[in-house]
Amino acid sequence: MIAALVRGPLGRLVPVAVVLLALQTTLFVDVQPFGVVLQLLTAFAAAAGVAGGPERGMLAGFLLGLMFDLGTGAPLASSSLTMGLAGLVAGSVTFLNIELRWWLSAGFVALGAAVGEFAVPVVRYVIGQEDVFSEHLYTIVPVVAVGAALLSPLLVPLGRWCLLIGKVEWKVPNE
Amino acid sequence: MANLAIGRRRLIALLLLTSVLLLTLDLRGNVVFDRARDGFALVMSPFETAAQVVTRPAVNAWRAITEYDDLLDELARLQEQVDGQRGAEIAARNAIIEHQRLLALNDLESLADIPSVTASIIGLSPSNLDQIVEIDRGGLQGIETGMPVVNEAGLVGKVTQVFPNSSLVMLATDTRYAVRVKVLSEQTPVEPTVPPDTVPSGLEVGDVTTTTTTTTTTTVPEPVVPGEDEPGDDPTGADPTGAHPAGADPAGDDPAGDDPAGDADAPDDPFGLDGPITVTTTTAPPVLVERETGALRGQGQRRLPMVTFVSSSPTLGQINVGDTVSTAGGRESLAPPDIPVGVVRNVISRPGSAGTELEVELSADLNRLQFVRVLLFRPLAEVES
Repeated sequence: MIAALVRGPLGRLVPVAVVLLALQTTLFVDVQPFGVVLQLLTAFAAAAGVAGGPERGMLAGFLLGLMFDLGTGAPLASSSLTMGLAGLVAGSVTFLNIELRWWLSAGFVALGAAVGEFAVPVVRYVIGQEDVFSEHLYTIVPVVAVGAALLSPLLVPLGRWCLLIGKVEWKVPNE
Repeated sequence: MANLAIGRRRLIALLLLTSVLLLTLDLRGNVVFDRARDGFALVMSPFETAAQVVTRPAVNAWRAITEYDDLLDELARLQEQVDGQRGAEIAARNAIIEHQRLLALNDLESLADIPSVTASIIGLSPSNLDQIVEIDRGGLQGIETGMPVVNEAGLVGKVTQVFPNSSLVMLATDTRYAVRVKVLSEQTPVEPTVPPDTVPSGLEVGDVTTTTTTTTTTTVPEPVVPGEDEPGDDPTGADPTGAHPAGADPAGDDPAGDDPAGDADAPDDPFGLDGPITVTTTTAPPVLVERETGALRGQGQRRLPMVTFVSSSPTLGQINVGDTVSTAGGRESLAPPDIPVGVVRNVISRPGSAGTELEVELSADLNRLQFVRVLLFRPLAEVES
């Protein structure tokens, strides 16, 4: 069973998440465009959703969120909710049933990341934290979304690899 | 979302419930989760160190691009500030020494008596909401949860999580941060009535020791008429500023006979107003008066922390912009008294029982933290128990 877990998506997702979390807590806290911390893990959760659909995106987001909360001291599972939501929203691209172009993937990764980031203060408000909504949120959400879109060419293939998903091949139906 | 399958809905519900369960358990305080965090921090530590090393060139390049102009401006501003503060520093040091001596004399506790651990910032908050930094000292150095963190400028925050070799510090701007503070303002004592020339014993005023006062002498230079001697042109070395108290002509400063009182036109100017007009004002040193206490709460990264539960006491006077704020201390307080917090920037009057609210600009620049001191302070109530 353990071997199956290691060989499955979990065996790839966890090490990748550890590396991404290390980057999130080092590189991305120093490199802040417009004073906003780009959310690498939220973007990756959204990318996993684009690559694998809403369920896998949500599960990946849940796991990534747990690791983020454990690593940063945030209330446990608060980021699981937001990143899971990011994966779910971004994964809805698969409902379109069309070929995924890079710009479409980038757009849905951006959408998922934006929804996920907006959900952070909402979740914090629900669990009793005060003064979580500020005008800065109008800057944070678009910048996080654009950052996620720019990172999507790297993150979507990485998400596909982590979730053991082969590249979609479109075949011309036989006449 | 219309085509969400039943399995998908179940999955969403399952994850949602799991999250809510975990959140509830964590917010109530759970030893297992705390241990898991400690373990995860231990696992992540080498990865973070490696990431820091690998990404340093990229971070430095980013900073070079984005912060160069700011850095130059900051350098010029700081240089100006350093020049301005050199004089004040000497006076402040003397005041601190006197203060410490007085406290020691009266057997009172002071900040200098509290042992501290110096730490450097090794990580910033990866979230856009939390105002938390990581320092490189932890439980092995005696740090405990709740201890106040300061830097040279004043209060920075408090320790919220302690690992063996690192700790998380919640900054004073975090919305969850709160500490009891007191508002102090400078009050100039009322001018005493002019003393008589002699005291009852018949001694001259100059023979009697009086309380210390600060004397400021302002000299308005005489309007310069072209062709006449300008003060600075005096080759005899007479004081060009004339910054001496009235009638206190420095001996030998005026051998050339430029003394206004001795001018040829003196008869036309019986009051001696033809020369530089010397105005002497005497002011007593300002006294710090405690106005009111309240609770300082963080308001997030871009908003000033706010002091609430303040009621301005008319007997003590109004709280004004520029009044200083420092920690109030107390039996239950996690912070000792008299840590400088900042200055009042806005006074907001609320109607009814809401009272006055104050926006406080922190003395410590929390955006540029490098080194901090953790005061190994435990509240009096905890020590006694």
